[in-house]
Amino acid sequence: LFSHIEAKAMNPVQKVAWTELIVSVLAIVLVATLYPWLGSSALGGFALLGLLGITPLFLRRRGNQVVRDERDAQIERIASWFGFGTAYLLLMLSMVAITLFYSQHQRDVPTSLLSVLLWSQFAFCYALKGATALLQYRGNNSAA
Amino acid sequence: MTQQALADAVGVTRQTIVAMETGTYTPSLALAIRIARVFDCKVEDVFELNE
Repeated sequence: LFSHIEAKAMNPVQKVAWTELIVSVLAIVLVATLYPWLGSSALGGFALLGLLGITPLFLRRRGNQVVRDERDAQIERIASWFGFGTAYLLLMLSMVAITLFYSQHQRDVPTSLLSVLLWSQFAFCYALKGATALLQYRGNNSAA
Repeated sequence: MTQQALADAVGVTRQTIVAMETGTYTPSLALAIRIARVFDCKVEDVFELNE
């Protein structure tokens, strides 16, 4: 995997996008795998999202190398709007659906369900942001 | 001139030069002018508008 990534000579913003996608998907998969056994304790798997804190390291300046240019900024802007916008929309729709469902059954919404929802939307947001950025970079690494 | 040399001269990444060559990215006016200056010609000699 790493030799493949190296061969493509990614720029720093692409590395950030890959990190966001991989870490978010891993966190979602980990929690989904552990949930049947551990219940709401499996939400601790979302701690993996803390790894997103290393992404600024990719953007540090090294000599005269251009870290992020106008195209990267444009791609990041589109990816952020798409990722955050979609996640926010899904979160609101899910909350409305959950509220309607539980009020029909005359029950309170469990707080554990809200935790699952909030954490998964957070992970989903970064996964979508990373994937959107990578899709925009697709096909522009070759020497042409 | 290599893509990397042009990228270094105008302050962008090589991928941005590739994206411009393949027509998947439209540069800002400032970048277009910087590229034209590198080649010592007018912007319209380097870029054309497809209507």
